[in-house]
Amino acid sequence: MSTADATLVPITQRSWLTPSRMAGLALLGLLALFALSGPLLVSVDPSEQDFAASLAPPGSDYLLGADHYGRSMLARLAYGARLSFGMALLTVATAAVPGILLGLLAAWRGGWLERVLDLVSTVLLALPGLLLVLILLAFAPGTFGPLYLGLALTLWIEFYRVTWVTAGGVLKQPHVEATRLLGFGTSYILRSLVLPEIRPILITLSAFAMSTAIIAISTLSAISVGLRPPTPELGAMIVELLPYYAEAPLHVLMPGILIFLLVLGLQLATRSDAR
Amino acid sequence: MGSLPSAGRNRMKRLVLARLLQAGLVMLVVGILCFVLVRALPGDPAMRIAAGRYGPDANITEAAEQVRRELGLDQPLLVQLGASLGQLARLDLGHSVVTGLPITKELRIQLGATLWLSGSALALSLLLGPPIGLLAGLRRGGWVDNASLGGAIVLRSLPPFVLGLLLILVFAMLLGLFPPAGYGTWRDLALPALTLALGLAAVSSRVARDAVAAVARTPYLAFARLKGLPEAVVVRRHVLRNAAIPVISYLALQAIYLIEGVVVVETLFGIPGIGHALVHAVIARDVPMVQGTALAMGLLFVVIAMAVDLACHWLDPRPKRT
Amino acid sequence: MNAPVRFQALTVSDLAISAGTTTIVRDVAFTLAQGRPVTLLGASGSGKSLVAHAIMGSLPTGLSAQGVIKLDGEDLLAGTPAQTRARWGRTIAILPQEPWLALDPTMRIAGQVDEVHHHLHGFGSAASSDRARADLADVGLAGREQAYPHELSGGMCQRAAIAVTHAAGASVVIADEPTKGLDAALRDGVVERLLQEVEQGRLLLTITHDIEVAAALGGMVGVMLDGALVEFGPAEQVLEQPRHDYARALIAASPTKWPASLLPAAGEAVVSACGLSKRFGERPLFDELSISVRRGEIVAIVGPSGCGKTTVGNILLGLVAPDRGEVERTAGMAPTRFQKLYQDPPAAFVPHQTLRQSLGDLLKLHGLDWMRAEASMERFGLGRELLDRRPSEVSGGELQRFAILRALLLDPVFLFADEATSRLDPVSQKDVFAILIEAVRERSLGLLMVTHETALAETVAHRILKLG
Repeated sequence: MSTADATLVPITQRSWLTPSRMAGLALLGLLALFALSGPLLVSVDPSEQDFAASLAPPGSDYLLGADHYGRSMLARLAYGARLSFGMALLTVATAAVPGILLGLLAAWRGGWLERVLDLVSTVLLALPGLLLVLILLAFAPGTFGPLYLGLALTLWIEFYRVTWVTAGGVLKQPHVEATRLLGFGTSYILRSLVLPEIRPILITLSAFAMSTAIIAISTLSAISVGLRPPTPELGAMIVELLPYYAEAPLHVLMPGILIFLLVLGLQLATRSDAR
Repeated sequence: MGSLPSAGRNRMKRLVLARLLQAGLVMLVVGILCFVLVRALPGDPAMRIAAGRYGPDANITEAAEQVRRELGLDQPLLVQLGASLGQLARLDLGHSVVTGLPITKELRIQLGATLWLSGSALALSLLLGPPIGLLAGLRRGGWVDNASLGGAIVLRSLPPFVLGLLLILVFAMLLGLFPPAGYGTWRDLALPALTLALGLAAVSSRVARDAVAAVARTPYLAFARLKGLPEAVVVRRHVLRNAAIPVISYLALQAIYLIEGVVVVETLFGIPGIGHALVHAVIARDVPMVQGTALAMGLLFVVIAMAVDLACHWLDPRPKRT
Repeated sequence: MNAPVRFQALTVSDLAISAGTTTIVRDVAFTLAQGRPVTLLGASGSGKSLVAHAIMGSLPTGLSAQGVIKLDGEDLLAGTPAQTRARWGRTIAILPQEPWLALDPTMRIAGQVDEVHHHLHGFGSAASSDRARADLADVGLAGREQAYPHELSGGMCQRAAIAVTHAAGASVVIADEPTKGLDAALRDGVVERLLQEVEQGRLLLTITHDIEVAAALGGMVGVMLDGALVEFGPAEQVLEQPRHDYARALIAASPTKWPASLLPAAGEAVVSACGLSKRFGERPLFDELSISVRRGEIVAIVGPSGCGKTTVGNILLGLVAPDRGEVERTAGMAPTRFQKLYQDPPAAFVPHQTLRQSLGDLLKLHGLDWMRAEASMERFGLGRELLDRRPSEVSGGELQRFAILRALLLDPVFLFADEATSRLDPVSQKDVFAILIEAVRERSLGLLMVTHETALAETVAHRILKLG
């Protein structure tokens, strides 16, 4: 229809809290509760071995069964979830803070800073992120340091670019010029004009970066270059249990399901509605 | 009129040039990191470089002395780096420290497996994703749209190795249809290719659906209908090409997922490709091999991205807005 | 050319359009006849485009039409959707608004005409392409068959769209805002094209907000307001002696009909510049330009789009630096006393702030009194309920008046109005200028206006500077 007559048709405002967001937040809440309180409730050491219970099925003495060493799956999963959450949060925070600040600075000042940062991000983006992380892991396989560094190094770029493009777009708009002509200063423009525009997209991006970090850490551990057993890391648990998949397929899948739920929760919680 | 085709050719040149530049950057990043790596690992770097150059079977102490003299490890680091990058630019990749074989020879063997896997995964994903997206986009809110949305959300929450594991459990263990690992026949390739294809199609189906939905809202589609064309002609002549542009240009981003997925899936399914070799080289700290395989995967990514650029250029005559 | 079927008349009676239970257009009746085109005039949101789509049978989902639309005895509203669709192109064609957006951007224009011959009329591929070439030559696009829409000007795209309707063979043509986005010179060309359609025996309905277009097309003119046809009659009668209040206001809103504004003599210069030069990339915009604006004076810069007239104003405000030249402003004046009005009113407001928030922040910043702002609102005819809306929920005219209010609160000495009324309907334009002229008179404000409408500049300004 013509845009001219669009005002005739009433529009309904949709609420921010869509059913999918609600489901995602609820899922994340449950997982966080599990990760934080699981170890307290079960009060079992995730490294305590009980060979009598090796590969015990869920339900018996152990609520979710026990692994090949007879360690409680519940305790290990709770620690694993906590570890995944924690490492991902640390990585994303390390990437987001400089990324957003540099993005704002580049959008605001432009000039050589913008060109240098653009060059740096182009260089880092030339290689798929996982390859960069893998090369860094060759320095010290099996440790969190290079994993953390490599992931943060690839993830900050997205924060930088999105902030730079969005904030740059806002700053070019006439209403910023109008606001400045009316006498408002830089801090008002950043706080009241730019921030509200970039906040939603940065929240989505953070959730996306969290998913990327969770998947990358568990994947690299699952292919034996990330964290190594006996650390109760979800990916490492899978490789450890993989030889027993014929006897205990459910045990192998459990850490995978937990990763799936974590990422699903993050996705749903920040999903924008289909147009 | 006469200047237009040449403007198009200029744009194509720029696209190719940008990707060649990216290829150069891939070499630079990989080269520098591996240069640092070789000197950062514990032990005598000359020894490691010698082993990387001539293979572990060579008379290593003598070779190490020769390396020390020749590279002048007492020389400034920048000079050493220049020499090392020069070697890389000539594609002189050295020998694997583990097997002693020349890296280029190893890569040539591994490349076949990697290309088969990535090619079939990409083809399979294009057979699945865009057609589903088209159906969903033409009937927004219909059952295809809703089902494919649910499927895409679930698939995108599954890391490739978990998805691969699920497929092994269902198709290899439960149904016994395909072998769980191995390499040689097409049946070996089925599960790994499907693992990657499902992940790719989860995204491309949604990109296609949104692209079709966006085209459906354009004034030019309304006009195509209003000028009297039957619906099938409208879809065939106006929806398909215009919606294909974002789907194909998105493939450049999906190439990242593909390359990363190939590394993981090859390792999981035991396919003797470049990604598999990279992971094992990292574990064994076989630096020349890490460098060679990372370079090969990085360049494969650039080649795919360049092909995508050229396809978009051919489909979309409009000048790029910057 | 296909052997055309020509119709005698298209009669619309008792037409109403509703969204669910709410009626948004009602009581529309008129007749299109051979040699007597109909033009519907009205502001945006008056429902005139919906009438066009009701005739076409292409109303957006959720809207439905009631009443009778007869084309030589056949009721168009009575048919099935399939019958309606079968008429598209073959019987009734719509000339889209902004045709550069209505042509497929990835297909050469010959292909877009060609496919009509091939798929509508079943011609072979060679015959179709010959016919397409002839259709394009007919509208003066010979030699441009292989061009893509982005390689053509707006006027050329308009003609390519006309070639498409000719190819389809329609005898009823509906032109929906055919001059939207075109400047004056191109506008006359489009009107001429439309008159040719009438001469060739097609029935023509034109939807426009432009009185000049209605006058040039002649025939019958209808005026729409809030979804109703408030006036209908021969063009001369409606345009010269309108009976309905709104129609009268609309006609009187044409700048040529405005009463002369009585302005006192101008005072000293508030801003002046000499020897200004600016280039945009390789292209010089202007060279050695001198301009000054005095207190109580209205200066207009007139010129086609892209000639750099906005840039001149921005240089005077200090928003853009000239390549060469000097700008001098009255000494000791606070920077906030130099203000600007924007072409697109919503773009000048923070989109997520309600007007109350943005006004409140401004008053707080400058230590101004809320009561004073409210008094001005009343004077400018702005209801208090507007304060709790966001910019996108306020009409363009109201928002522009609000922008003036906002600027006047800072007691400006210089105001730059950048095409400030070009997106407004004529009545709103007149209101905005009434306020501006009053401010110039009462506050000895120096006003610099940039416009592409010569008639407007001639009516309002003391001095006119032509660029480009």
